Amino acid sequence: MGKFLLAFLVFFPFAAALVGYLIGRHSKAGRDYSAQAACLLEFLAAVGLSGCWGSTLQWDGFCGLGLSFACDGFRTVMAVLAGYAWLSTTVASREYFGHLRNRNRYYLFTLMTLGSTMGVFLAADLYTVFIFFEIMSFTSWVMVAQEETPEAQKASGTYLGVAVLGGLVTLMGLFMLYSSVGTLRLDELTGLISQAENKPFLYATGVLIFFGFAVKAGVYPLHIWLPTAHPAAPAPASALLSGIITKAGIFGILAVSCNIFLHDARWGNFLLVLAVLTMVTGALLAVFSINLKRTLACSSMSQLGFILTGIAMQCLLGPENALAAGGTILHLMNHTLIKIVLFLSAGVIFLNLESFDLNRIRGFGRKKPLLMTVFLMGVLAIAGVPLWSGYVSKTLLHESIVEYIAMAGLTAGQAAYYKAVEWLFLISGGLTVAYMTKLFVAVFVEKNPTEQARYDEKRRYVARPTAAVLTVTAAALPVLGILPGLTMDRIAGLCRGFMHAEAPAHAVHYFSLVNLKGAVVSLLIGAAVYLLLVRPLLTQKQPDGTRLYVNRWPRWLDLEYGLYRPILLRFLPFIGALLSRTACSLADWAAGAFGALLFWKAPKKVEPPVDNAFGVYPERPHYHTIRGSLAYSLLLFGIGLSIMLLYLLFVR
Amino acid sequence: MNSAWLLFPVLFPILAGAAELVFHFKSRRAREVYVAAAVLVNAAAALVLIALAPEAPFVFLRFDNKMELALRVDGLSLVFGAMVSVLWPISTFYSFEYMKHEGRENKFFGWFTMSFGVVMGIAFSANLLTLYLFYELLTLATLPLVMHSMDEKALYAGKKYLLYSMSGAAFVFIGMVMILRYGTSLDFAMGGVLPAARIAGSENLLRLGYVLAFLGFGVKAAVFPLHGWLPAASVAPTPVSALLHAVAVVKAGVFAIIRLTYYSFGTELLRGSWAQDLVMLFTIVTILFGSSMALRTPHLKRRLAYSTVSNLSYILFGVTLMTPAGLTGGLLHMVFHAVIKITLFFAAGAILYKTHREYVYELEGFGRAMPVTMGAFTLSSLALMGVPPLAGFTSKWSLGTAAVEAGTPLALAGAAALIVSALLTALYLMQVVVKAYFPGKGFVRDRVKDVADPNGLMTVPFFLLMILLLLLSLYPAPLVKLFGWIAGGLI
Repeated sequence: MGKFLLAFLVFFPFAAALVGYLIGRHSKAGRDYSAQAACLLEFLAAVGLSGCWGSTLQWDGFCGLGLSFACDGFRTVMAVLAGYAWLSTTVASREYFGHLRNRNRYYLFTLMTLGSTMGVFLAADLYTVFIFFEIMSFTSWVMVAQEETPEAQKASGTYLGVAVLGGLVTLMGLFMLYSSVGTLRLDELTGLISQAENKPFLYATGVLIFFGFAVKAGVYPLHIWLPTAHPAAPAPASALLSGIITKAGIFGILAVSCNIFLHDARWGNFLLVLAVLTMVTGALLAVFSINLKRTLACSSMSQLGFILTGIAMQCLLGPENALAAGGTILHLMNHTLIKIVLFLSAGVIFLNLESFDLNRIRGFGRKKPLLMTVFLMGVLAIAGVPLWSGYVSKTLLHESIVEYIAMAGLTAGQAAYYKAVEWLFLISGGLTVAYMTKLFVAVFVEKNPTEQARYDEKRRYVARPTAAVLTVTAAALPVLGILPGLTMDRIAGLCRGFMHAEAPAHAVHYFSLVNLKGAVVSLLIGAAVYLLLVRPLLTQKQPDGTRLYVNRWPRWLDLEYGLYRPILLRFLPFIGALLSRTACSLADWAAGAFGALLFWKAPKKVEPPVDNAFGVYPERPHYHTIRGSLAYSLLLFGIGLSIMLLYLLFVR
Repeated sequence: MNSAWLLFPVLFPILAGAAELVFHFKSRRAREVYVAAAVLVNAAAALVLIALAPEAPFVFLRFDNKMELALRVDGLSLVFGAMVSVLWPISTFYSFEYMKHEGRENKFFGWFTMSFGVVMGIAFSANLLTLYLFYELLTLATLPLVMHSMDEKALYAGKKYLLYSMSGAAFVFIGMVMILRYGTSLDFAMGGVLPAARIAGSENLLRLGYVLAFLGFGVKAAVFPLHGWLPAASVAPTPVSALLHAVAVVKAGVFAIIRLTYYSFGTELLRGSWAQDLVMLFTIVTILFGSSMALRTPHLKRRLAYSTVSNLSYILFGVTLMTPAGLTGGLLHMVFHAVIKITLFFAAGAILYKTHREYVYELEGFGRAMPVTMGAFTLSSLALMGVPPLAGFTSKWSLGTAAVEAGTPLALAGAAALIVSALLTALYLMQVVVKAYFPGKGFVRDRVKDVADPNGLMTVPFFLLMILLLLLSLYPAPLVKLFGWIAGGLI
């Protein structure tokens, strides 16, 4: 049963994608329903996995090394999350894509992405992870490029370029790992760093493998695709990109960090630096953004930084890392659910207004209680307000940092460093509060200066299936948050095996005063940032008294256009072309010099006359006509014969 | 089985082709039947011979006890011979349709058929002298194909091709003389024919001979800086570019280098020496050079030609690692690249044939207009880029792990070059794919109104090749095993 479910989860979507494509050429509704049915089946199969932990699936010879899949608690949780994300977005897609072209293509590639994502989550070795990870990069690229607008073309180009680059760097790392260790099976790689003889080589290998996964997970400074690709993609695709596909990157990072670099403090510190940078940069970008979807995208980046912090703390804390492990997986899950809610809500707004610009969509949410409630759930959860799910995971992450500082053996300087990390963590939480407040106030509180009456009239702004999906997903957020012991702690418990974490020494009291303090600090920082920074500095007062949101993010701070594109598209090709041309010219010069030497003082070229096909003959003087005639030759021949006769007769 | 049969796949097409050149066919139908029959019979005969693999070599001309012309089948002949015999008939059917607009079909098919025999001669050569003979003959037999259109560009390309190949052969001659002088025989034997005792004291001279011979055969394998003829030769009719300049001729160069490295000079002499470093450096430079030039070339066929330059050096890089794993990887890439590149060229040819468009930027919106052609192009592009689980990935994986296993700094640099080149490959091929499938929002369908897939003679080869590619991609295990045996010297 387990084998069947594993194979089904991975390969069924590919088959369903092709079948759906063929159906779609005849019936659009049939295609939509078949896609939904396929996603439902996937979701049910993923849930069914919970009964078959420990089963494995092996396909030798596929692509050389063969594929291998396994099933455990963590993989089940990831598969269920992915199944749910696809189910909910596919249901919402029917409305979203109602009037768009190329829908067949979208469904084809979405389902293929589902299959490859399942392949990544269920893989038992890094080879399998990599194979499906690459397939996922290409199929999800089509989802980004779907709308074919200039922005989408640009964003998808960046996405594909960065993904291919990342995949190749990871491949290089896998080459090195495989030829030095001889296996890529995760269970055989556990604790490799503690036995390794050549540690620098293994660290280099690890960083190379990490690179490709970090690209997907939007880790600074490889995040450049994220803020452009999410807004360019259709909203259901954005939800998937942000909710699940970035998590495939996290899965890869976890697979590396919890196996090869199990409990390795040096690796943990490396991750921590990147995690904090990602967390803070993402949050700052989000605060400055004035586009609804871009804000959500940057927020994704920041939240991925939080998750990465958890992974870093797992490595740093060593064997007693239950808090960090729980925080990592729970924040991962929360973020997926929250982003489904937020991106699908953004999609609803876009369907009505064809815009994500805060200045245009402001006020749209007034007098729309359903949309407002749903969106508010997402805001409260992601901001880490107690009683919503985000609070629980953030508390765990925060506690893990506090725990590490309290652990013996830190010098004063180190303690100050980790204290700074803790504060950056709290500040990022505060920035989260600030940018989510900015969104909420803009869309649901402020009035639109020109269009408010038209917006208020819109009563039928969302189709029933979409509304149902939004409600169900949003309802999960407070339920998880109010009953953390019953729900979230158990989920965290399921996932410990994969991360080689032990159970916590004692249950965490989420609503104790100590734990509430962190959330309160973040909320206060957020309120301060919103009131002191966002309101006065990031908006402009118009003559008529309304406020306009302005983008004050300096252009030169854009890594992609300020640094990467010039280097990759101008500087390196220039160098390459220069070298190639020089090399080519050198060969040409050598050949030319050789030719010149060979033909030095050679006679001049002779042009053969047109009627003379066989070559060139030297000019000769004309003989007298008789000497050229037959009679003359005969005469000479006769004379010769006579002389010979005379000689024979008289001399011999 | 009498090993004299080995002469059949070599002589039969040469005679059949020559007969066609002498007795011109008046009707196209009759010629097509004749050529198809000749090629199919020969391919079948070659495959049967390869499967039966007569043990004894067949000597058909003997000069003295060291120098003789002989044919035989061993593991490596099997790979090259089978690859050529499978792809030749497919290309022949494609050419029937394609050559309709090029004209002078009698001449074309005559030489085309003759080249088949010569290539089989290369595959079945039992010793260096025979290989040398057929190698030279191949230049002569394919020259009329390169110059087919006989316009100024074609004549120039032909001249360049002739000059490069002939001078290359001269270099090979030096290496051959050294083997003749120092070796036990000219025959091919895994591990080489230069026992350490015989060559004591003159190792470096022999290494020099190897490098010269490598560069000589490297002309056909388009090693930088001797690649110049290949992009120029893309003026030839597309079936020629596809079959000869992506499979038969260029891989004959690669095949000859494998023979030279593993079967004549032997890896014992070369591994770890300056000669290995030098030839490996050549391949690494070529990998990067070919890919970057491809990216800069907007002419589709020439872009593919540069891509061939780069990919041939992938194979040679594996070969110059001089380990069994390296040779396995090289052979895998040789077979996969053959299937992939022939498809890419066929697609470029189909586009040229139907629409007379040759530049990458002219292909906007072709994805919908030519679904079969562009579908084949896309699938094989992804395969060449090495997107798992398609074929290119398997070979890249074997090459990469073999390189890292070899462990020298240069081999590691080579692995890095493979990675960089894969990125460049993605760029230069995806540009085409993106143009074809994502023409952009304001694209007007009318601009590709007159564009459509070609007829069955051209599309059926696409389907055949795609099936072959998928089979090779998803289940390469038997091939990997077979190549492992060959590299280990077992067959």
